[in-house]
Amino acid sequence: MTRKILMFAAGAMVALATGLVMTTPARAQSGAVASAMADGSVGEQADGYLGIAGTVSAAVRSEVESINIKRRAAYTQLASQRGVTVQDVAAATGCQTLSSRVKTGQVYRIGAGAWQTKGAGAIALPSYCATAG
Amino acid sequence: MTKHTIIMAGLAASALGGCIQVKAPDKPIEINLNVKVQQEVVVRLQRDAQDLIQNNPELFPQ
Repeated sequence: MTRKILMFAAGAMVALATGLVMTTPARAQSGAVASAMADGSVGEQADGYLGIAGTVSAAVRSEVESINIKRRAAYTQLASQRGVTVQDVAAATGCQTLSSRVKTGQVYRIGAGAWQTKGAGAIALPSYCATAG
Repeated sequence: MTKHTIIMAGLAASALGGCIQVKAPDKPIEINLNVKVQQEVVVRLQRDAQDLIQNNPELFPQ
């Protein structure tokens, strides 16, 4: 009985430690991307992915690529659930990020256009986002 | 001669005019609404997209 409890406790501790190890680096990395977004070198795009707008470190670049790969996986999963294309899900997400995630002073890009800095007002969204919200 | 044949064919067609038959096409009628559908799909997906962002905060740093 006691041994069982001990084993359970040990297992819980291992799980906890693993959780810590797994979450900490991810948080640090996305923090680097968040900083890059704050200084305008990384921004959201209407296509639903992050883009590189300026000069970034190799670490930030690889983290942006990693995030985009994971986003694509999430979009693909949702697209198959809803019977729509990955591009549709990605575009819908782009409408959301541009309308409610990009903060004043951060950069964003619509289509192949130039990077723009968000001002005080709302971003002029692509027409297909019309009733987003 | 050819003109004559055409006139004859025209007469024959008008003679049959009393019993024009309208037949439903074998294939379904296709109306191309791709642009509109695309827009509706995106609008419908807005809520899904919101959830996706909220459920995956690590993929959407700010």
